[in-house]
Amino acid sequence: MLELYKKNSPAIHKLLSIMCGLAVWHVLATVIVADSSFLVSPLAVAAKSYEMLFQTAELYPHLLASSSIFFYGYLLSIAAGVPLGFLMALSPAVRDYVHPWMTTLYTTPRIAFAPVLLLWLGIGAGAKVAIVFLGCVFPILINSYYGMRVVNREFVELARSFRLTRLALFWKILLPASVPFILSGLRLALGRGLTGVAIAEWFGATEGLGYLIFFAGQTLNVPVLFVGVTAFALLGILGFEILRKVEEIATPWRKKLQT
Amino acid sequence: MLRKDLRRGFLSIVAGLLLWEILARLLLENELLIPPPSSVVRSFWKLASTGQLNRHFAATVLEFTYGFAAACVVGIALGYLMGMYKWFDEWMDPWIATLYSIPIITVVPLIIIWFGLGMLSKVIVVFKITAVEIILNTAAGIKTIDPVWLEVSKSLRLSRWETTYKIRLPAALPYIVTGMRLGVGRALLGVIIAELLASNAGLGYLLRDASETWDSPKLFVTVVLLAAMGIVSFTLIKKGEQKLAPWRETAEW
Repeated sequence: MLELYKKNSPAIHKLLSIMCGLAVWHVLATVIVADSSFLVSPLAVAAKSYEMLFQTAELYPHLLASSSIFFYGYLLSIAAGVPLGFLMALSPAVRDYVHPWMTTLYTTPRIAFAPVLLLWLGIGAGAKVAIVFLGCVFPILINSYYGMRVVNREFVELARSFRLTRLALFWKILLPASVPFILSGLRLALGRGLTGVAIAEWFGATEGLGYLIFFAGQTLNVPVLFVGVTAFALLGILGFEILRKVEEIATPWRKKLQT
Repeated sequence: MLRKDLRRGFLSIVAGLLLWEILARLLLENELLIPPPSSVVRSFWKLASTGQLNRHFAATVLEFTYGFAAACVVGIALGYLMGMYKWFDEWMDPWIATLYSIPIITVVPLIIIWFGLGMLSKVIVVFKITAVEIILNTAAGIKTIDPVWLEVSKSLRLSRWETTYKIRLPAALPYIVTGMRLGVGRALLGVIIAELLASNAGLGYLLRDASETWDSPKLFVTVVLLAAMGIVSFTLIKKGEQKLAPWRETAEW
């Protein structure tokens, strides 16, 4: 028994911590606060999610709307970010001209652009995708840039001694070497993109998880609020797992190095 | 003469602004869609001279500072404990991971329900965002300390307190600053969103006010101000990071 504990103590501690936390939350919600427009027990949240998933099925349209916005924005930012990042890494002139604009756009809190984009693109899907795009594109761009910049010189020299053409150099050396960097950019972009979805759906949306949360907040519907937040967290975790799988497939040499 | 890359950057900004002005004046002639830079400047001047800008700016900066300061104190303490004691790390880990993986802004409505429309809810938002980053990074810094340093402190017979103060915390300092840098950008976003949702002062409020009254020059003033705030805070932290840990390569952006 003791041995079993010693072997798995981190997992046991984590499990205990989650159980205790949930218990404290339950007691806090039902006994101390006892106000359902303020805080509800995790049991009530679970019951509400069950209801929204299997009984009224009202969660699905929101999930679908949010995922499709996220998907389009994410794909667009990969399509724009990776080539531009490469271009900046390969040409100092492009880098110098683009750099100040990028710094400005990247360090500005994204929310500032939301009303402007809405003004330009209307309250349809276009503005929402643009807001997600704006959140995702910079981590991807910057990481592609870095990935290509820090490619090991020896690889390049090796390619030269094999007399690879410029195109072959790009496809066989530079691109594969920067894949791990691009992937870590994708990982960063995931979280920012989800935040972008929520921001986008606060402005003039009629469906989506962000709308659900926003509306629940306005109407003090705390159980639905928690369901929305949980759904977002789960989407984020799902995305990370998918990316991890992609990483395993795209960079097989890493696994070999580890073992 | 300036360095070549700086000169090009400057040129790019000036050309962009000029192009914007010309396009807005000649082609679009629609202040609502894209106000030219000159009317943005005029609107800025108007807002600044009436003292409105000061009030909103001060509110945001104050909220940000309170939340940030509290997050530094709590974050470093919790991060230190997590780095030092394995069981504490294991107990905290699921909750920190949960807090970390939930997009910040989805909990903003909840925080407003709990802490009201006033300043406190915004301070809490900033606190939550920054604290998580600092905790994670401090814990990492404490954990990855070079064992040789600890051996040195043992052979010098430093007390626990001295080891903490003279060895462990300074060793973790670059990590802590990295956590702060990551926190700043996100916290700025968080505070603006919280103000946008419910408040009567701050740059987020100004943003909503401008967009709801279709006052595009004012909207652009706010956007430019937010950009400036982001750049200034980012540069300051980056300078600090370079000073504290010159051996570490810091992010370019």
